Amino acid sequence: MPKKTKLVNSKGIRTDGRKIDELRPVKLEVGILSNADGSAYIEQGKNKILAAVYGPGEVHPRHLALPDRALLRCRYHMAPFSVQERKSPAPSRREVELSKVIREALQPAIFLERFPRTSIELFIEVLQADGGTRCAGVTVASLALADAGIPMRDLVVACAAGKADGHIVVDLNDIEDKEGEADVPVAYMPNFDAVSLLQMDGILTIEEFEQAISLALDGCRKIYALQKEALKAKYQAIKEEVEGAEEE
Amino acid sequence: MKDVLVMNETRQSGQFVVPGQKLGIIEEFIPNSGTFVENGVIRSKNVGYMLMDFANKKVSVYPAARNLNVPRVGSIIVGNTTGVQSSLAIIRIKKVGSKIISGYFTGVIHISDVSFRYTDSMFESFKLGDLVRAKVISDKNHTYHLSTKGEKLGVVLAYCSQCGNVLSLKGRGLRCEACGNVERRKIASDYGEGTL
Repeated sequence: MPKKTKLVNSKGIRTDGRKIDELRPVKLEVGILSNADGSAYIEQGKNKILAAVYGPGEVHPRHLALPDRALLRCRYHMAPFSVQERKSPAPSRREVELSKVIREALQPAIFLERFPRTSIELFIEVLQADGGTRCAGVTVASLALADAGIPMRDLVVACAAGKADGHIVVDLNDIEDKEGEADVPVAYMPNFDAVSLLQMDGILTIEEFEQAISLALDGCRKIYALQKEALKAKYQAIKEEVEGAEEE
Repeated sequence: MKDVLVMNETRQSGQFVVPGQKLGIIEEFIPNSGTFVENGVIRSKNVGYMLMDFANKKVSVYPAARNLNVPRVGSIIVGNTTGVQSSLAIIRIKKVGSKIISGYFTGVIHISDVSFRYTDSMFESFKLGDLVRAKVISDKNHTYHLSTKGEKLGVVLAYCSQCGNVLSLKGRGLRCEACGNVERRKIASDYGEGTL
């Protein structure tokens, strides 16, 4: 592919002014939708993603219900206005795949066996996309699940690393993803030190791959701290409100 | 894992915890509600507040998020009748225990589970729209099987099949104040008292 842009300059600064091991600014908010059972919102750089959870509820069609655990359903969807050129609102091949991949990244963290014969539905709606939406999607989705009160083994965080202009960089944006040499998204359960999603697109040597993984995991740990803060922010606010009302 | 032993100074009752967060180890505490154990470490499985009960050596998490309730065998539910057939009534479960659930589950009452006595007709036990209190007796066959056997179980609120007004208790049957229509149901002992 012909290179159009210089992704990393001689000083090691990227197109959006970040260093090679620097994340985009992340803003997380929990419980922003009142009608869903649980919800969360993330802004990671220019990415804007909403996640909502319903359930556990009845499974339709009935025959899909599992006798020993809940059915986790996940829909990753990009809004038509989420990208430069209007995207058809119908689920594309890529969205179907990402739905599966995100579901499988979250599944090991949820106590599905606690709710046999029910379904937990998860909706991830990308409002604005700028690379790394599957990772940001996993990060918000686990917050939405926690907000819905669904028992979980751990929160799941995701972050990507990759190679751009020969440098191993963390948290790729859209240009780096498209024009860079490789992209490695990683989903991680920090308390168990377990990886629940690992993909690679592009070519890396073994050393580069290991370096990318360790950068991605560092990124995950940073975002995990923000996830905890976001949950705390919501419930601390509720607690204060309740205690304030009691004093009056 | 490096830090299996939790540092005592950063841990206190009432502390905010998130799923996966370490609460202690099984040598210190008996894991109680809202927790789970993996590799000897007690962790929270909910967003909530940690409670350490040193007298009973128990640790639990008081959930801050929504408290989930799913019908289980033995739970008392309240729901609407959405269909009556000659031997079955279909109930849309709206409340499990004391919690109103988001969404609903579907359950069925078979004519043999309506009451301890012989049931003549399903159509005289439940009618469309009735609010019914029942007990879950089985969750096999992809449905919740319900029973209204017992004094406290049965219809808690019913509507007149002629005019749609709320029926009130009259002897052992129900009477419509608006049109004088008299109907029968499998009535719960606290019919019309509004106690769900």
